[in-house]
Amino acid sequence: MEIDNLALNLDKIKKDYPDNPLEFFKGKRLCLFKACLEKYFPGVRFGMENLLEALGLDVSVCENQSCCSGTFFQRNLITRAQFAAINERNLNEINRQADILLVSCNGCYNSLLRGRDFLKTPEVKRKTQKILDGVKEEMGSEKYPGQYKILENPNLRIVHDLDFIYLIRKEVLNTLKYDLKGLKIAIHYGCHYLNLERDKDMDTYLRDSFKLEELVRLFGGVPVDYSEREACCGWGASQIVIHPEDALQITYNKLKSAENVDACFLLMPCPTCLYTLSKPEFREKMYEIFDEKLEIATIHLNELIAILRGCEEDRCVTLKRTTPRIHFIYETITQE
Amino acid sequence: MDKSTAKKIAEDEEWSYDFLEELTEDVHENRNIIQCISCGKCVGECPASKISNFNIRKVIQKVLKGDRSVLKDSDIWYCFLCERCKRVCPKEGINIPLLIINLRNESFKKGYGPKYNDLTKYVEMSERFLTNGTVLDDPLDGVLSEDRVRELDKICDFARIKYVFKASGKKLPETKAKHKKTSKKEE
Repeated sequence: MEIDNLALNLDKIKKDYPDNPLEFFKGKRLCLFKACLEKYFPGVRFGMENLLEALGLDVSVCENQSCCSGTFFQRNLITRAQFAAINERNLNEINRQADILLVSCNGCYNSLLRGRDFLKTPEVKRKTQKILDGVKEEMGSEKYPGQYKILENPNLRIVHDLDFIYLIRKEVLNTLKYDLKGLKIAIHYGCHYLNLERDKDMDTYLRDSFKLEELVRLFGGVPVDYSEREACCGWGASQIVIHPEDALQITYNKLKSAENVDACFLLMPCPTCLYTLSKPEFREKMYEIFDEKLEIATIHLNELIAILRGCEEDRCVTLKRTTPRIHFIYETITQE
Repeated sequence: MDKSTAKKIAEDEEWSYDFLEELTEDVHENRNIIQCISCGKCVGECPASKISNFNIRKVIQKVLKGDRSVLKDSDIWYCFLCERCKRVCPKEGINIPLLIINLRNESFKKGYGPKYNDLTKYVEMSERFLTNGTVLDDPLDGVLSEDRVRELDKICDFARIKYVFKASGKKLPETKAKHKKTSKKEE
């Protein structure tokens, strides 16, 4: 059995549907992966859900999906086989109800692909199936055939929200009510978007690492370059928890660098990066350490699209987040 | 034999692969680090190297020379697992983040890793994961079904995630489903 990494083949869609890639998704069942950190930024989920509904697509979430468990794997709290088993259970549940899985978080996206990747190692695959066999025994029986089997030739394919939005960007543009009014925007991609295995190929890397810039231009904004553009947000697999002062140096450098080029806000495709770059406690701590108050606002691509589509402010960006100047951005974009 | 060849042979004699073999017994892919040409591209691109003494080239050299002291180095806990090194490495098949995870595992096994007290945040996150299936309290979509939580609990059997609880003095989470199962047995 060959283990497929399940990443949606974007090049094939572009080839098969050159005029309107959205056609590929029509009639397919789409599912949104529930990233834990969307709790702090419900606008991330709302923005994508609202867009998909406006495009006439069938969208759901999977009730039985757990956390991707990437954070525990990265901290050596679970093994590769346990991580892959958690991943297979999630994929198995999602595969039953969807054809395409959209992922808003770089960390979850990386986990979903990495879990499958680990199964290419025969020993990990064997151990993973053994764990799943143990779960089956514990649970007594299967609710459906193959519930506790490693997925074989699943129909399900996975796509990052940024790749999806970029693929159908012309159709997205048609649903927008407002534009970016020439605002200067700094882009942050996040390590687990930029540094995936697929990006080893230079052509793919160069294409992927300019998608947000192209979207900003398309939506009427001006992407601005800054020295720390490709730098990590500072989260660093929980370095911000384990070595906070050192990790916040990375976060500070990033935010400061974007402020230095007068960016109005930092745009990114990941709620974990968003959490790190916007958490008020982290900003306060940086003020204490570096004696400089950083004001730059931060926003997820899905939240921004919700604002551009004219959705209510409370739905686009959560009130739980008191990022400086976010209200100003909303007001600027939505003023007639 | 010219001087440079003699020097090269002398250097080669410093290599000792016993530790590497031992280390990669369960993670065969990490044997690929033997291909490392020590070009240093990984170090130049590494965020952790900018803020700490973490130097992946030195870590790899220690492993290839059989220097087990690397397991005691606090530096290995500074890696951001950002995977940038993996992308810029000119050699195919070298997976530095996986090597770091491998080293951290060995370090944990030998008792050199961070003390569980340093993992307080993980105690809370692990508890939430094993009781409601997410890492945060009060998740956006509510908690996971009892059956799925029971599955997670079983999958994580013997994992460090459970020992984190034990060391913290907390009781392992017991799902309602488990209670249900126990009471069924009792019946």
